Amino acid sequence: MYGGDEYPSNSEYYDDFAHTGDPQLDMEYERNYFSTRMPDNVKYFLINFCQAIKEGNLYDIQNMYENTFPQISDHHFDKTAWPEEQEVAAIVDNDKVFLILYKELYYRHIHARIPGGPKLEQRINSFFNYCDFFNLIISAQNPVMLELPDIWLWELVDEFVYQFQNFAQYRARLTDKSQDEIQQLCVNHSNVWSILCILNVLHSLVDISNIKKQLEAISQGVDPQTVAGDFGKLSFYKMLGYFSLVGLLRVHSLLGDYYQAIKVLEPIEIHKKSAYSHIPACQISTSYYVGFAYMMMRRYADAIRTFSDILLYIQRTKQLYSTRSYQNDQINKQAEQMYHLLAICLVLHPQCIDESIQQVLREKNYHDAMFKMQCGDLEVFKSFFVFACPRFVSPCPPAADAPMEDYVKDPMEHQLLVFMDEVRQQKDLPTTRSYLKLYTTLPLTKLASFIDPNASDDDVSKLLIRLLCFKHKMRNLVWSKGPSGLEGTFKSGSELDFYIDDDMIHIADTKVSHRYGDFFVRKILKFNDLNRKLKNINI
Amino acid sequence: MSHLVKMENGQSQTIQEMLGCIERYNPDHLKTLEAYVQDQAKNNTYDLEANLAVLKLYQFNPHMLNFDITYTILLKSLTSLPHTDFVMAKCLLLPQQMKDENVQTIIDLADILERADFTLFWQRAETIRKDLLKELLGGIEDSTLESWIKRNGWKHQGQGLVVVATQDDKIKTKNITEKIEFDNVGALMAQCL
Repeated sequence: MYGGDEYPSNSEYYDDFAHTGDPQLDMEYERNYFSTRMPDNVKYFLINFCQAIKEGNLYDIQNMYENTFPQISDHHFDKTAWPEEQEVAAIVDNDKVFLILYKELYYRHIHARIPGGPKLEQRINSFFNYCDFFNLIISAQNPVMLELPDIWLWELVDEFVYQFQNFAQYRARLTDKSQDEIQQLCVNHSNVWSILCILNVLHSLVDISNIKKQLEAISQGVDPQTVAGDFGKLSFYKMLGYFSLVGLLRVHSLLGDYYQAIKVLEPIEIHKKSAYSHIPACQISTSYYVGFAYMMMRRYADAIRTFSDILLYIQRTKQLYSTRSYQNDQINKQAEQMYHLLAICLVLHPQCIDESIQQVLREKNYHDAMFKMQCGDLEVFKSFFVFACPRFVSPCPPAADAPMEDYVKDPMEHQLLVFMDEVRQQKDLPTTRSYLKLYTTLPLTKLASFIDPNASDDDVSKLLIRLLCFKHKMRNLVWSKGPSGLEGTFKSGSELDFYIDDDMIHIADTKVSHRYGDFFVRKILKFNDLNRKLKNINI
Repeated sequence: MSHLVKMENGQSQTIQEMLGCIERYNPDHLKTLEAYVQDQAKNNTYDLEANLAVLKLYQFNPHMLNFDITYTILLKSLTSLPHTDFVMAKCLLLPQQMKDENVQTIIDLADILERADFTLFWQRAETIRKDLLKELLGGIEDSTLESWIKRNGWKHQGQGLVVVATQDDKIKTKNITEKIEFDNVGALMAQCL
């Protein structure tokens, strides 16, 4: 549910008890305050919440999870933590399962709302709480009879990966920590939030739910229940398995392993709507990481299709989730990042896209930046990439003898370097394309003289190399069918293609005639509406 | 040659099976995988997934990093051009590997190939001058050129030109026009009645 960057804290500090300004004293005060006076509505909420989970009343759970919990957070716990475990334990009869779930929300809230982020101890405890949860559901002989709304399961898996990412960044920043803290972090707790734990949990959830077999069964038209097994039959495990595949996609992307990122999704037909695609945030996140991986693999046509499909979907369904602000913020942020990535891809690989997406690119003024990128402005490429890329992390803490520096940005810098190498290799292509677009046949010598008026024979052979590079870079692997997103055939899907016959370039351009249909449909609807209103006016 | 991986329980798995599960992250298997990489170099075979798994194990266990294997993996990935295997491998490199001189040399090599991919040229060009063709192939003799022409089914056209492929019917101008079916607007028309 959280994009993975810093949380801006602009809103006013909510103040319903006396502050001394001293954090230590304040914490003390807070504790006394809550143990004696947990607000009544918080108490009732927790009791009801626990009850609903015990009874498996999905509708109530979802309502409390999506609405009441954020409301109470805004009201009582803006920038402060929810009540401690012990206080809650006392009012819910020490319900172990509920307490684990409560703590999941408790630490999630600390990650999202407490200025300065969670402390090391809180990060560690949150990790162990996740371990408790996964042990509870994975290590059992028989499936645990627990039901939670899908949105919670998605956000739980997503948050688990997010906290890993956040911890990896925290761990890489040696500049704001004492020797003692670094010792704690890198030696005593080196297994906390370790990459192997994360992968292990996600793989276990995938395995226990048989989600891969279930998805394969669905694509072959077989009833997935026949291969689901005792655990996978239950929606709870099945959905956790599915969301874990997306979690793995994200983890691999954060490590720069784009091949595995796409590979883990193999049983999912990314380009098709399915029974699993009812959580918008999950859909959107999937497309973001898939599109990004495609872009890095120089599969621009696939990246463009992935981004424009999901951006259209967001455009069309926007009203549906605009009420839930925390989900909406995340979706808007990711959509903006995807428009940036789409703009990059369209500069490198011009092609037709849906008119309404094109319109957004126009309205939000992406065209200026795109024009600069076409002219070879590398700084714009850089800033677009940095804004839109995932927050990459290193799977390991800095080496024990590493100088006390800030290593947070290193993984991102590396991905940026790889991307910019690619861009530099293609830097001259947009100019070449702009000349080629003007002709259907063009002699090599003439093109060479366009590029440099004093062109010599040597420049003609250089031009040949440039044209070869054009051909090479525009020939992308493109997915056409089948479950694996890695498969594909080589295509020159960009709008312009050419071949060379001795000294002559023969150019084939793609011409798109104007589309009037949408325009007229909109006008007809508008007039219809006006007509109706006019008829209803009684004078 | 098939490689088997010994598991903790004493059983063996093929590399492909091992890569399909959580075992792919187990550093105990690194030695087997490294031997598999060397094998690919010797026997002219290629397994991208296994090679990326090796780089990932280095990423997770920097103290086990082996530079020679890194070079082999990077060079092997270059042989699969025009696929982008090299880029995928490059994304997984550690700072130590990026600082290595030989790795940098291979990256420069890749850069040259990426800027002007000669292998692709043969599929793209239609006719080409004989002397240019000889130069592109690395300054070869006439006799060697003849054997290349034979091997690839190219033809002499006279005047020092060689026909390598016919592109005329492959690369054509595309026209995309709007098509509106009656079904698409039926509902709208009904509404207007």
